[in-house]
Amino acid sequence: MNAVTLKNNGALFCDGAPIGDEPLMCLGKQVVLDHGVTLRSVFRMIETYPLLSRLNPFFPTYIEQYREIPADGCTCDDFAHIEFSKTVEMIGYPGEPRLEIYSALKGEGGGETREIRNYELEHLLDMPLLLGKLRHIVFGDKVDQFEFGTVFTLFEFIDGIVWELSFHGTLRACALRR
Amino acid sequence: MFEKIIFATTGTPTCDHAAHVAFDLKKKYNSELTLFHSMGMPSRGFSPFIKDSRTGEDEYLDNDYADWVKEELKTYYAKQLAETEGVMIETSAGESHREILRAARKNDADLIVMGAHSRDEEAGATRYRNVVGSTMQRVAKGAKCPVLIVSRPCTTCLWYFSNIIFGTDFSKASYSAFLFAYQLAKEIGAKLHLFHAMDMTSIHSGKAVSQEEIEAAIADARKRIEKTYVAKMADYDNYEIEVWEGVPYVEILKFARERNGDLIVMSHHTREVDPDDAVLGSTVEQVVLRAACPVASVNRPDKVS
Repeated sequence: MNAVTLKNNGALFCDGAPIGDEPLMCLGKQVVLDHGVTLRSVFRMIETYPLLSRLNPFFPTYIEQYREIPADGCTCDDFAHIEFSKTVEMIGYPGEPRLEIYSALKGEGGGETREIRNYELEHLLDMPLLLGKLRHIVFGDKVDQFEFGTVFTLFEFIDGIVWELSFHGTLRACALRR
Repeated sequence: MFEKIIFATTGTPTCDHAAHVAFDLKKKYNSELTLFHSMGMPSRGFSPFIKDSRTGEDEYLDNDYADWVKEELKTYYAKQLAETEGVMIETSAGESHREILRAARKNDADLIVMGAHSRDEEAGATRYRNVVGSTMQRVAKGAKCPVLIVSRPCTTCLWYFSNIIFGTDFSKASYSAFLFAYQLAKEIGAKLHLFHAMDMTSIHSGKAVSQEEIEAAIADARKRIEKTYVAKMADYDNYEIEVWEGVPYVEILKFARERNGDLIVMSHHTREVDPDDAVLGSTVEQVVLRAACPVASVNRPDKVS
Protein backbone atom coordinates (compact mmCIF):
# COMPACT_ATOMS: atom_id res chain seq x y z
CA MET A 1 0.00 0.00 0.00
CA ASN A 2 2.70 2.46 1.02
CA ALA A 3 5.23 1.15 -1.48
CA VAL A 4 6.46 2.25 -4.87
CA THR A 5 7.89 -0.25 -7.34
CA LEU A 6 10.76 0.57 -9.67
CA LYS A 7 10.53 -1.33 -12.95
CA ASN A 8 13.46 -2.26 -15.17
CA ASN A 9 12.48 0.46 -17.68
CA GLY A 10 12.65 3.15 -14.99
CA ALA A 11 8.90 3.51 -14.49
CA LEU A 12 7.52 3.87 -10.98
CA PHE A 13 4.33 2.05 -10.04
CA CYS A 14 2.17 2.53 -7.00
CA ASP A 15 -0.66 0.07 -6.22
CA GLY A 16 -0.14 -1.48 -9.63
CA ALA A 17 -0.56 1.79 -11.55
CA PRO A 18 2.01 4.25 -12.97
CA ILE A 19 2.55 7.23 -10.66
CA GLY A 20 2.11 9.85 -13.38
CA ASP A 21 3.90 13.16 -13.06
CA GLU A 22 4.09 13.28 -9.27
CA PRO A 23 7.30 11.51 -8.25
CA LEU A 24 7.82 13.80 -5.24
CA MET A 25 4.75 12.32 -3.54
CA CYS A 26 6.43 8.91 -3.67
CA LEU A 27 9.77 9.89 -2.14
CA GLY A 28 8.73 8.84 1.36
CA LYS A 29 7.30 5.50 0.26
CA GLN A 30 9.06 2.19 0.61
CA VAL A 31 10.88 1.33 -2.61
CA VAL A 32 10.52 -2.16 -4.06
CA LEU A 33 12.75 -3.26 -6.92
CA ASP A 34 11.04 -5.26 -9.63
CA HIS A 35 12.72 -8.32 -11.11
CA GLY A 36 15.50 -7.37 -13.53
CA VAL A 37 16.23 -3.93 -12.12
CA THR A 38 19.81 -2.76 -12.78
CA LEU A 39 21.70 0.45 -12.10
CA ARG A 40 20.58 1.51 -15.60
CA SER A 41 16.96 1.41 -14.36
CA VAL A 42 17.82 4.17 -11.87
CA PHE A 43 19.07 6.41 -14.69
CA ARG A 44 16.01 5.52 -16.77
CA MET A 45 13.87 6.56 -13.79
CA ILE A 46 15.63 9.95 -13.66
CA GLU A 47 15.05 10.40 -17.41
CA THR A 48 11.40 9.49 -16.99
CA TYR A 49 10.93 11.81 -13.99
CA PRO A 50 13.42 14.67 -14.62
CA LEU A 51 12.27 16.47 -11.46
CA LEU A 52 14.13 13.83 -9.44
CA SER A 53 17.45 14.92 -10.96
CA ARG A 54 17.21 18.05 -8.83
CA LEU A 55 17.79 16.00 -5.70
CA ASN A 56 21.56 16.13 -6.20
CA PRO A 57 23.88 18.46 -8.14
CA PHE A 58 25.79 15.48 -9.59
CA PHE A 59 22.79 14.04 -11.44
CA PRO A 60 23.15 16.18 -14.61
CA THR A 61 26.80 15.09 -14.95
CA TYR A 62 26.01 11.43 -14.50
CA ILE A 63 23.01 11.57 -16.82
CA GLU A 64 25.26 13.06 -19.51
CA GLN A 65 27.79 10.30 -18.95
CA TYR A 66 25.05 7.65 -18.93
CA ARG A 67 23.78 8.81 -22.34
CA GLU A 68 27.20 8.29 -23.90
CA ILE A 69 27.51 4.72 -22.62
CA PRO A 70 26.44 1.70 -24.77
CA ALA A 71 22.81 0.66 -24.34
CA ASP A 72 23.68 -2.81 -23.05
CA GLY A 73 26.47 -5.11 -21.99
CA CYS A 74 27.80 -2.77 -19.29
CA THR A 75 28.84 -5.37 -16.75
CA CYS A 76 31.94 -6.63 -14.99
CA ASP A 77 32.99 -10.09 -13.87
CA ASP A 78 34.36 -9.19 -10.46
CA PHE A 79 31.05 -9.49 -8.62
CA ALA A 80 27.54 -10.84 -9.23
CA HIS A 81 25.37 -7.87 -8.33
CA ILE A 82 25.35 -4.42 -6.79
CA GLU A 83 23.71 -4.11 -3.41
CA PHE A 84 22.26 -1.02 -1.78
CA SER A 85 22.40 -1.34 1.99
CA LYS A 86 22.15 0.69 5.17
CA THR A 87 24.50 0.88 8.13
CA VAL A 88 23.71 1.95 11.66
CA GLU A 89 26.91 2.60 13.56
CA MET A 90 27.22 3.31 17.27
CA ILE A 91 30.38 5.26 17.92
CA GLY A 92 31.60 5.59 21.48
CA TYR A 93 35.27 6.49 21.25
CA PRO A 94 36.87 8.87 20.55
CA GLY A 95 34.52 11.78 21.22
CA GLU A 96 30.91 11.89 22.37
CA PRO A 97 28.83 8.74 21.92
CA ARG A 98 26.70 9.05 18.81
CA LEU A 99 24.76 7.02 16.30
CA GLU A 100 25.20 7.41 12.55
CA ILE A 101 23.00 6.02 9.83
CA TYR A 102 24.29 5.92 6.28
CA SER A 103 23.85 3.96 3.08
CA ALA A 104 26.31 2.09 0.87
CA LEU A 105 26.40 0.76 -2.66
CA LYS A 106 28.76 -2.15 -3.11
CA GLY A 107 29.54 -5.05 -5.39
CA GLU A 108 28.65 -8.45 -3.94
CA GLY A 109 29.46 -11.92 -5.15
CA GLY A 110 31.20 -15.13 -4.20
CA GLY A 111 30.93 -14.22 -0.52
CA GLU A 112 32.98 -11.07 -1.07
CA THR A 113 32.11 -7.39 -0.91
CA ARG A 114 33.86 -4.95 -3.21
CA GLU A 115 34.09 -1.17 -3.36
CA ILE A 116 32.73 -0.05 -6.72
CA ARG A 117 34.19 3.45 -6.78
CA ASN A 118 37.10 2.37 -8.96
CA TYR A 119 34.88 0.86 -11.63
CA GLU A 120 33.77 2.94 -14.59
CA LEU A 121 30.03 3.48 -14.93
CA GLU A 122 30.17 1.54 -18.20
CA HIS A 123 31.07 -1.58 -16.22
CA LEU A 124 28.29 -1.16 -13.69
CA LEU A 125 25.14 -0.03 -15.49
CA ASP A 126 23.77 -3.47 -16.37
CA MET A 127 24.72 -5.19 -13.13
CA PRO A 128 21.64 -6.43 -11.23
CA LEU A 129 20.72 -4.07 -8.41
CA LEU A 130 19.36 -5.49 -5.17
CA LEU A 131 18.29 -4.06 -1.84
CA GLY A 132 20.41 -5.36 1.00
CA LYS A 133 20.16 -5.51 4.74
CA LEU A 134 20.79 -3.14 7.58
CA ARG A 135 24.16 -3.64 9.24
CA HIS A 136 24.48 -2.64 12.87
CA ILE A 137 28.06 -1.90 13.90
CA VAL A 138 28.57 -1.65 17.64
CA PHE A 139 31.08 0.92 18.85
CA GLY A 140 33.14 1.03 15.67
CA ASP A 141 34.10 -2.62 15.86
CA LYS A 142 33.38 -3.96 12.39
CA VAL A 143 33.84 -7.51 13.65
CA ASP A 144 31.03 -7.00 16.12
CA GLN A 145 28.15 -6.39 13.73
CA PHE A 146 24.66 -7.70 13.19
CA GLU A 147 22.45 -7.80 10.11
CA PHE A 148 18.72 -7.15 9.99
CA GLY A 149 16.09 -7.07 7.29
CA THR A 150 14.94 -3.51 6.56
CA VAL A 151 13.13 -1.26 4.11
CA PHE A 152 14.35 1.79 2.18
CA THR A 153 12.36 4.82 1.10
CA LEU A 154 12.58 5.96 -2.52
CA PHE A 155 14.39 9.08 -1.33
CA GLU A 156 17.03 7.11 0.59
CA PHE A 157 17.50 4.91 -2.45
CA ILE A 158 17.99 7.71 -5.01
CA ASP A 159 19.99 9.98 -2.71
CA GLY A 160 22.21 7.17 -1.44
CA ILE A 161 23.03 5.93 -4.93
CA VAL A 162 23.95 9.32 -6.35
CA TRP A 163 25.95 10.21 -3.23
CA GLU A 164 27.97 7.03 -3.68
CA LEU A 165 28.35 7.62 -7.43
CA SER A 166 29.70 11.11 -6.76
CA PHE A 167 32.75 9.41 -5.23
CA HIS A 168 33.36 7.44 -8.39
CA GLY A 169 35.43 8.51 -11.30
CA THR A 170 38.73 6.75 -11.73
CA LEU A 171 40.30 8.46 -14.68
CA ARG A 172 40.57 6.32 -17.76
CA ALA A 173 44.08 7.67 -18.29
CA CYS A 174 45.01 6.75 -14.73
CA ALA A 175 43.69 3.24 -15.15
CA LEU A 176 45.74 2.80 -18.33
CA ARG A 177 48.90 3.96 -16.62
CA ARG A 178 48.44 1.53 -13.77
CA MET B 1 61.07 21.96 -7.09
CA PHE B 2 60.59 19.94 -3.89
CA GLU B 3 63.73 19.83 -1.78
CA LYS B 4 62.15 18.71 1.45
CA ILE B 5 59.00 16.63 1.59
CA ILE B 6 57.12 15.44 4.65
CA PHE B 7 54.91 12.43 4.24
CA ALA B 8 52.44 12.38 7.16
CA THR B 9 51.21 8.84 7.66
CA THR B 10 49.29 6.67 10.05
CA GLY B 11 51.25 3.66 8.80
CA THR B 12 48.02 1.96 7.68
CA PRO B 13 46.53 1.07 4.28
CA THR B 14 44.53 4.33 4.23
CA CYS B 15 47.81 6.15 3.52
CA ASP B 16 49.04 3.73 0.84
CA HIS B 17 48.06 5.91 -2.12
CA ALA B 18 49.71 8.93 -0.53
CA ALA B 19 52.81 6.80 0.15
CA HIS B 20 53.12 5.92 -3.53
CA VAL B 21 53.05 9.58 -4.47
CA ALA B 22 55.45 10.66 -1.68
CA PHE B 23 58.07 8.07 -2.59
CA ASP B 24 57.56 8.77 -6.31
CA LEU B 25 58.17 12.47 -5.73
CA LYS B 26 61.30 11.77 -3.73
CA LYS B 27 62.69 9.66 -6.56
CA LYS B 28 61.77 12.17 -9.23
CA TYR B 29 63.11 15.28 -7.51
CA ASN B 30 65.78 13.59 -5.40
CA SER B 31 64.16 15.28 -2.43
CA GLU B 32 64.81 14.84 1.25
CA LEU B 33 61.85 12.74 2.45
CA THR B 34 60.72 12.55 6.06
CA LEU B 35 58.21 9.90 6.98
CA PHE B 36 56.29 11.40 9.88
CA HIS B 37 53.91 9.70 12.27
CA SER B 38 52.03 11.32 15.14
CA MET B 39 51.71 8.70 17.87
CA GLY B 40 48.74 10.09 19.77
CA MET B 41 47.70 12.43 22.53
CA PRO B 42 49.04 12.34 26.08
CA SER B 43 46.11 10.98 28.08
CA ARG B 44 46.19 13.98 30.43
CA GLY B 45 48.47 16.98 30.80
CA PHE B 46 52.04 15.81 31.11
CA SER B 47 51.08 12.19 31.63
CA PRO B 48 53.62 9.67 30.31
CA PHE B 49 50.71 7.67 28.85
CA ILE B 50 49.46 8.39 25.37
CA LYS B 51 46.46 7.23 23.42
CA ASP B 52 47.90 5.38 20.45
CA SER B 53 46.45 7.06 17.36
CA ARG B 54 46.02 3.75 15.58
CA THR B 55 44.69 1.45 18.28
CA GLY B 56 43.16 3.91 20.77
CA GLU B 57 44.93 1.99 23.56
CA ASP B 58 46.84 3.67 26.40
CA GLU B 59 50.59 3.24 25.90
CA TYR B 60 53.52 4.25 28.09
CA LEU B 61 55.49 6.80 26.11
CA ASP B 62 59.22 6.31 26.38
CA ASN B 63 62.11 5.83 24.00
CA ASP B 64 61.38 2.12 23.70
CA TYR B 65 57.82 2.78 22.58
CA ALA B 66 58.95 5.46 20.10
CA ASP B 67 61.58 3.05 18.72
CA TRP B 68 58.96 0.33 18.46
CA VAL B 69 56.65 2.65 16.46
CA LYS B 70 59.55 3.54 14.14
CA GLU B 71 60.28 -0.14 13.63
CA GLU B 72 56.62 -0.72 12.82
CA LEU B 73 56.78 2.03 10.19
CA LYS B 74 59.99 0.58 8.76
CA THR B 75 58.32 -2.80 8.48
CA TYR B 76 55.18 -1.34 6.91
CA TYR B 77 57.12 0.65 4.31
CA ALA B 78 59.92 -1.94 3.94
CA LYS B 79 59.46 -2.29 0.17
CA GLN B 80 59.59 1.45 -0.52
CA LEU B 81 62.43 2.04 1.92
CA ALA B 82 64.48 -0.73 0.29
CA GLU B 83 64.17 1.05 -3.08
CA THR B 84 64.79 4.55 -1.74
CA GLU B 85 67.82 5.82 0.12
CA GLY B 86 67.99 8.47 2.82
CA VAL B 87 64.41 8.50 4.06
CA MET B 88 64.17 9.82 7.61
CA ILE B 89 61.56 8.56 10.04
CA GLU B 90 60.22 10.88 12.72
CA THR B 91 57.54 10.43 15.34
CA SER B 92 56.09 12.64 18.02
CA ALA B 93 53.21 12.58 20.49
CA GLY B 94 50.42 15.13 20.45
CA GLU B 95 47.49 16.28 18.35
CA SER B 96 48.21 15.01 14.85
CA HIS B 97 47.67 18.26 12.94
CA ARG B 98 49.80 20.31 15.34
CA GLU B 99 52.61 17.77 15.22
CA ILE B 100 52.56 17.58 11.42
CA LEU B 101 52.65 21.38 11.14
CA ARG B 102 55.42 21.55 13.75
CA ALA B 103 57.47 18.96 11.85
CA ALA B 104 56.93 20.84 8.58
CA ARG B 105 58.14 24.08 10.19
CA LYS B 106 61.11 22.40 11.84
CA ASN B 107 62.23 20.71 8.62
CA ASP B 108 61.42 23.75 6.50
CA ALA B 109 59.38 21.46 4.23
CA ASP B 110 58.40 22.50 0.70
CA LEU B 111 55.55 20.04 0.56
CA ILE B 112 53.42 17.91 2.89
CA VAL B 113 51.93 14.74 1.40
CA MET B 114 49.05 13.06 3.21
CA GLY B 115 45.88 11.03 2.76
CA ALA B 116 42.38 12.46 3.24
CA HIS B 117 41.46 10.17 6.11
CA SER B 118 43.23 8.60 9.04
CA ARG B 119 41.10 5.47 8.77
CA ASP B 120 39.24 3.63 6.09
CA GLU B 121 35.89 5.33 5.55
CA GLU B 122 32.87 4.28 3.58
CA ALA B 123 31.62 6.93 1.18
CA GLY B 124 28.28 7.04 3.00
CA ALA B 125 29.93 7.68 6.35
CA THR B 126 32.08 10.53 5.02
CA ARG B 127 28.88 12.51 4.76
CA TYR B 128 28.80 12.91 8.51
CA ARG B 129 32.33 12.77 9.76
CA ASN B 130 36.05 13.13 9.35
CA VAL B 131 35.94 16.13 7.09
CA VAL B 132 35.28 19.22 9.17
CA GLY B 133 37.90 19.34 11.91
CA SER B 134 39.85 16.45 10.42
CA THR B 135 43.64 16.33 10.53
CA MET B 136 43.72 16.81 6.75
CA GLN B 137 41.60 19.95 6.92
CA ARG B 138 43.57 21.45 9.80
CA VAL B 139 46.93 20.74 8.21
CA ALA B 140 45.82 22.04 4.83
CA LYS B 141 44.54 25.27 6.37
CA GLY B 142 47.51 25.88 8.64
CA ALA B 143 50.48 24.82 6.53
CA LYS B 144 52.83 27.41 5.11
CA CYS B 145 53.80 25.05 2.32
CA PRO B 146 51.57 23.31 -0.23
CA VAL B 147 49.74 20.21 1.04
CA LEU B 148 49.22 17.39 -1.43
CA ILE B 149 46.21 15.28 -0.47
CA VAL B 150 46.03 11.87 -2.09
CA SER B 151 42.98 9.74 -1.43
CA ARG B 152 42.72 7.66 -4.59
CA PRO B 153 45.09 5.30 -6.38
CA CYS B 154 47.42 7.39 -8.49
CA THR B 155 50.61 5.44 -8.63
CA THR B 156 52.33 6.99 -11.60
CA CYS B 157 50.65 10.32 -12.25
CA LEU B 158 53.52 12.36 -10.95
CA TRP B 159 55.82 10.91 -13.58
CA TYR B 160 53.46 11.76 -16.40
CA PHE B 161 51.67 14.89 -15.24
CA SER B 162 50.14 16.44 -18.29
CA ASN B 163 47.15 18.41 -17.03
CA ILE B 164 47.19 20.62 -13.96
CA ILE B 165 43.85 22.15 -13.00
CA PHE B 166 44.04 25.38 -11.02
CA GLY B 167 40.69 26.30 -9.47
CA THR B 168 40.37 29.93 -8.40
CA ASP B 169 37.92 32.11 -6.55
CA PHE B 170 40.18 35.18 -7.10
CA SER B 171 41.10 35.42 -3.43
CA LYS B 172 44.56 36.26 -2.07
CA ALA B 173 45.12 32.63 -1.10
CA SER B 174 44.17 31.57 -4.62
CA TYR B 175 47.07 33.63 -5.94
CA SER B 176 49.46 31.49 -3.87
CA ALA B 177 47.81 28.39 -5.32
CA PHE B 178 48.28 29.85 -8.80
CA LEU B 179 52.00 30.41 -8.21
CA PHE B 180 52.39 26.77 -7.18
CA ALA B 181 50.36 25.45 -10.12
CA TYR B 182 52.20 27.66 -12.61
CA GLN B 183 55.67 26.77 -11.29
CA LEU B 184 54.85 23.08 -11.35
CA ALA B 185 53.34 23.23 -14.86
CA LYS B 186 56.40 25.10 -16.14
CA GLU B 187 58.79 22.70 -14.42
CA ILE B 188 57.27 19.54 -15.83
CA GLY B 189 55.85 20.92 -19.06
CA ALA B 190 52.22 20.27 -18.21
CA LYS B 191 49.21 22.12 -19.55
CA LEU B 192 47.84 24.57 -17.01
CA HIS B 193 44.05 24.87 -16.89
CA LEU B 194 42.98 28.13 -15.25
CA PHE B 195 39.47 27.39 -14.06
CA HIS B 196 36.82 29.41 -12.28
CA ALA B 197 33.42 28.09 -11.26
CA MET B 198 30.80 30.80 -10.86
CA ASP B 199 28.73 29.96 -7.83
CA MET B 200 25.21 30.17 -9.19
CA THR B 201 23.70 29.40 -5.79
CA SER B 202 24.98 32.71 -4.41
CA ILE B 203 24.29 34.71 -7.58
CA HIS B 204 20.65 33.63 -7.64
CA SER B 205 19.62 34.68 -4.10
CA GLY B 206 15.98 34.34 -5.00
CA LYS B 207 15.95 36.13 -8.36
CA ALA B 208 16.08 34.64 -11.80
CA VAL B 209 19.32 35.34 -13.68
CA SER B 210 19.05 35.82 -17.41
CA GLN B 211 21.34 34.07 -19.89
CA GLU B 212 22.79 37.47 -20.87
CA GLU B 213 23.73 38.18 -17.25
CA ILE B 214 25.38 34.78 -16.92
CA GLU B 215 27.34 35.29 -20.14
CA ALA B 216 28.44 38.75 -19.03
CA ALA B 217 29.62 37.36 -15.68
CA ILE B 218 31.55 34.60 -17.49
CA ALA B 219 33.21 37.15 -19.78
CA ASP B 220 34.15 39.24 -16.72
CA ALA B 221 35.67 36.22 -14.98
CA ARG B 222 37.74 35.38 -18.08
CA LYS B 223 39.07 38.94 -18.22
CA ARG B 224 39.93 38.73 -14.54
CA ILE B 225 41.84 35.48 -15.06
CA GLU B 226 43.78 37.06 -17.92
CA LYS B 227 44.60 40.13 -15.87
CA THR B 228 45.43 38.38 -12.59
CA TYR B 229 47.15 35.21 -13.75
CA VAL B 230 47.93 35.12 -17.47
CA ALA B 231 49.69 38.49 -17.22
CA LYS B 232 52.11 36.91 -14.73
CA MET B 233 52.99 33.94 -16.92
CA ALA B 234 55.37 35.80 -19.28
CA ASP B 235 55.75 33.74 -22.45
CA TYR B 236 54.29 30.49 -21.06
CA ASP B 237 51.56 29.64 -23.53
CA ASN B 238 50.58 26.10 -22.59
CA TYR B 239 47.43 27.12 -20.79
CA GLU B 240 43.68 27.25 -21.18
CA ILE B 241 41.07 29.44 -19.49
CA GLU B 242 37.67 28.02 -18.62
CA VAL B 243 34.78 29.53 -16.68
CA TRP B 244 31.78 27.36 -15.90
CA GLU B 245 28.71 28.18 -13.90
CA GLY B 246 27.10 25.95 -11.28
CA VAL B 247 27.95 24.53 -7.89
CA PRO B 248 31.73 25.14 -7.59
CA TYR B 249 32.85 21.73 -6.32
CA VAL B 250 30.67 19.88 -8.83
CA GLU B 251 31.99 21.99 -11.69
CA ILE B 252 35.64 21.58 -10.68
CA LEU B 253 35.27 17.81 -10.41
CA LYS B 254 33.44 17.70 -13.73
CA PHE B 255 36.10 19.82 -15.39
CA ALA B 256 38.96 17.76 -13.92
CA ARG B 257 37.36 14.56 -15.18
CA GLU B 258 36.69 15.98 -18.62
CA ARG B 259 40.25 17.24 -19.06
CA ASN B 260 41.84 14.16 -17.46
CA GLY B 261 43.35 16.34 -14.73
CA ASP B 262 46.39 14.82 -13.02
CA LEU B 263 46.40 17.35 -10.22
CA ILE B 264 43.92 19.89 -8.89
CA VAL B 265 45.43 22.94 -7.17
CA MET B 266 43.20 25.09 -4.96
CA SER B 267 43.34 27.25 -1.87
CA HIS B 268 41.58 26.26 1.30
CA HIS B 269 38.69 28.12 2.91
CA THR B 270 39.05 31.42 1.26
CA ARG B 271 35.58 32.75 0.84
CA GLU B 272 33.65 30.02 2.51
CA VAL B 273 31.74 30.16 5.74
CA ASP B 274 33.38 29.63 9.10
CA PRO B 275 34.56 26.00 9.01
CA ASP B 276 32.95 25.38 12.39
CA ASP B 277 29.59 26.23 10.86
CA ALA B 278 30.12 24.19 7.71
CA VAL B 279 28.26 20.92 7.69
CA LEU B 280 30.53 19.10 5.34
CA GLY B 281 33.34 21.55 4.74
CA SER B 282 34.34 23.80 1.93
CA THR B 283 34.75 23.35 -1.77
CA VAL B 284 38.23 21.90 -1.22
CA GLU B 285 36.99 19.18 1.12
CA GLN B 286 34.23 18.23 -1.28
CA VAL B 287 36.77 18.06 -4.11
CA VAL B 288 39.34 16.13 -2.06
CA LEU B 289 36.79 13.49 -1.12
CA ARG B 290 35.73 12.87 -4.68
CA ALA B 291 38.60 13.76 -7.00
CA ALA B 292 40.16 10.92 -8.92
CA CYS B 293 43.52 12.72 -8.87
CA PRO B 294 45.57 14.24 -6.03
CA VAL B 295 44.54 17.68 -4.77
CA ALA B 296 47.08 20.30 -3.66
CA SER B 297 45.90 22.87 -1.15
CA VAL B 298 48.00 26.04 -1.13
CA ASN B 299 47.12 28.98 1.09
CA ARG B 300 50.30 30.91 1.77
CA PRO B 301 52.90 32.44 -0.49
CA ASP B 302 55.84 31.41 1.77
CA LYS B 303 56.98 28.40 -0.24
CA VAL B 304 55.72 29.28 -3.67
CA SER B 305 56.77 32.85 -4.38
